[in-house]
Amino acid sequence: MAISLDEVRLMIEASLPGAEVEVVDETGTQDHLRATVTAAQFEGLSRIEQHKLVKNAVQTRFDDGSIHALSIKTSVPG
Amino acid sequence: MTEPTLKDRVEELIRENKVLLFMKGTPEAPQCGFSMRVVNVLESYGVEYGALDVLPALQPLREVTAEISDWQTFPQLYVNGELVGGADIVEEMDESGELAGLLGVEQPERPAASAKQELQADDPQQSPPMQIER
Repeated sequence: MAISLDEVRLMIEASLPGAEVEVVDETGTQDHLRATVTAAQFEGLSRIEQHKLVKNAVQTRFDDGSIHALSIKTSVPG
Repeated sequence: MTEPTLKDRVEELIRENKVLLFMKGTPEAPQCGFSMRVVNVLESYGVEYGALDVLPALQPLREVTAEISDWQTFPQLYVNGELVGGADIVEEMDESGELAGLLGVEQPERPAASAKQELQADDPQQSPPMQIER
C-alpha cells in the first residue's frame, strides 16, 4: 500500500513544527522515500538523534508497511 | 542457569566488536541496497568488522535493537559500543571525514571503479558473518 508524499510531509511537519520538509519518491513506487528536513529542533543533536525525530514522526507507516525505506537528510537552519 | 536471551547475545556482540554491522545479507552478498552501501564504505577503510545477517531473525532483532538503541531499521552500524546510524549517516560521516576519525584510520582515497589493483581482493578484512542460534 503506497503512501502519498504529502501525507509523509505533513506527518513530519506536525511532529516538528516550523521545519522545512521535502519528501520525494526515489523509485517511483511510492515506498522508497527521501525526506530532507531542516529544523531548529535539531540544534545540538547528533545525527542519529535527528534522524530518530524524523523516523518517529512516520513510525506508524513503517509498521504498517506503507513505507518500505526512508532516506533521511537533516540539517539545522543556517 | 538461565539461557541467554537474544538481547544478551546482541549486547555481547556489540561489546566484543569494535565495529559491528547489523545488515540484511552478508558482506559478500548484501540483500538490500542500504546494507550494500554501508559495506562498501567499510570495505574502503580496510577495517576489521563483524557482520550479522539480520534476515533469519528480523522481527526479534528489530525488537532487541529498539530496546537497546531505540532504532529498528537495518542496516545499523555500531562503533565502540554505540549506534552510529544507517546508510545515510554512515555516508555523510564518510564524506565529512568523521568516520575515519571514529574508526581511527586515515581517510581513504577513493579509487576509480576500475583501478582496483591496490586493493587485496583475496584478503577481506572482516570476520566471517556470525549466526545467532535461536
